[in-house]
Amino acid sequence: MRYRVSGDALTATLSDGAVLLNLHSKRYFSLNETGTRVWGLLEQDAELDDIVRMLTGEYDVAESDARRAVMALVAELLAEGLVVGASG
Amino acid sequence: MSSPDLAVPGLAQSPADIVNSQSVARCWRHGLIDATTGHDGTFLLHTAARAALHVRRGRLARGAGYSAAPPAARRELARFGAQLVLRTRGLYHVHAAGVVAPDGRAWLLAGESGCGKSTIAYALTRAGWRVLGEDGVLLQRMDDCLIAHAWRDTLQVSIELAEYFPELRSQRAMVNWLDPRHRVPITPPGMQRAPIAALVFLNRARHDAITPLPETVALSMLVRQSSTVLLSDTCAAAHLAALRELVMRVPRFLLAHSAHQLHHAHETLLEQAR
Repeated sequence: MRYRVSGDALTATLSDGAVLLNLHSKRYFSLNETGTRVWGLLEQDAELDDIVRMLTGEYDVAESDARRAVMALVAELLAEGLVVGASG
Repeated sequence: MSSPDLAVPGLAQSPADIVNSQSVARCWRHGLIDATTGHDGTFLLHTAARAALHVRRGRLARGAGYSAAPPAARRELARFGAQLVLRTRGLYHVHAAGVVAPDGRAWLLAGESGCGKSTIAYALTRAGWRVLGEDGVLLQRMDDCLIAHAWRDTLQVSIELAEYFPELRSQRAMVNWLDPRHRVPITPPGMQRAPIAALVFLNRARHDAITPLPETVALSMLVRQSSTVLLSDTCAAAHLAALRELVMRVPRFLLAHSAHQLHHAHETLLEQAR
């Protein structure tokens, strides 16, 4: 499964996370460092499986936990219109 | 290795209502002003006065109802329009008081309405600091520093503070008694611009404490305070980049302040600069 970052999203990446703006809904959000890492991969059109692989490679976490965490974040980003589903 | 925590912390409330979100045009609301951005610039509408102002190619043009609108509505529209024109020129409005320390460097005091921006700014002027703006400054990115430019408003200080600032007693005739905060206009010594030393968010409290703020928290608070960054014209990305640079380049603090700071804020702030 692949997602892409919405054209309405603006990102400011910081040393401890990121702040995201949705210029359409006029809402803003903050991500912690790990969330920012996932966001960076979504910006590069990474597959969900690649993102999960990245997390299990960089963090001491089980594949199932990483997948659940990524799915939860992506669901939230989808609900806020910050990412949209992409084919392929 | 740390375990991942992918929650979205600090999911903040939007500073502006979502208006007409199904429309192709991008509409933004701040107070009584609606702003709609399209291919022909930005259309500002004062919803109470039904007065319009256009921002096109970096210039302001009066729209329907503008000339007949009450002066306060025209002022509000012109002020907001000017912010949008200035941001096309690389000057970004930040909703914060700007005060310049005796060493020539500016401290930006931000926070919600009523958090004490004007009060602390006035307290600092009594210690020899100068004012760039009471309710806003213009941020400009330079090669080696960030500059705050004056966005001058009259400093409004509550007459109730005469207990701490005795000189206010002589200003009782100037009090706006229709203002719930019974404020009096003050014109302290000003400055035109200064390099920025630090960013301080204010919070009234019973006990004093000054603590460093993480970058993401500071930027989220700054976006909340300076919600024009969410207006979707062609300058939004540059505006966000300027705010990001501000929080990354200068120290950020949260100052919880009691009445004690009315006489000690300058010491509290300058101690952080050492």
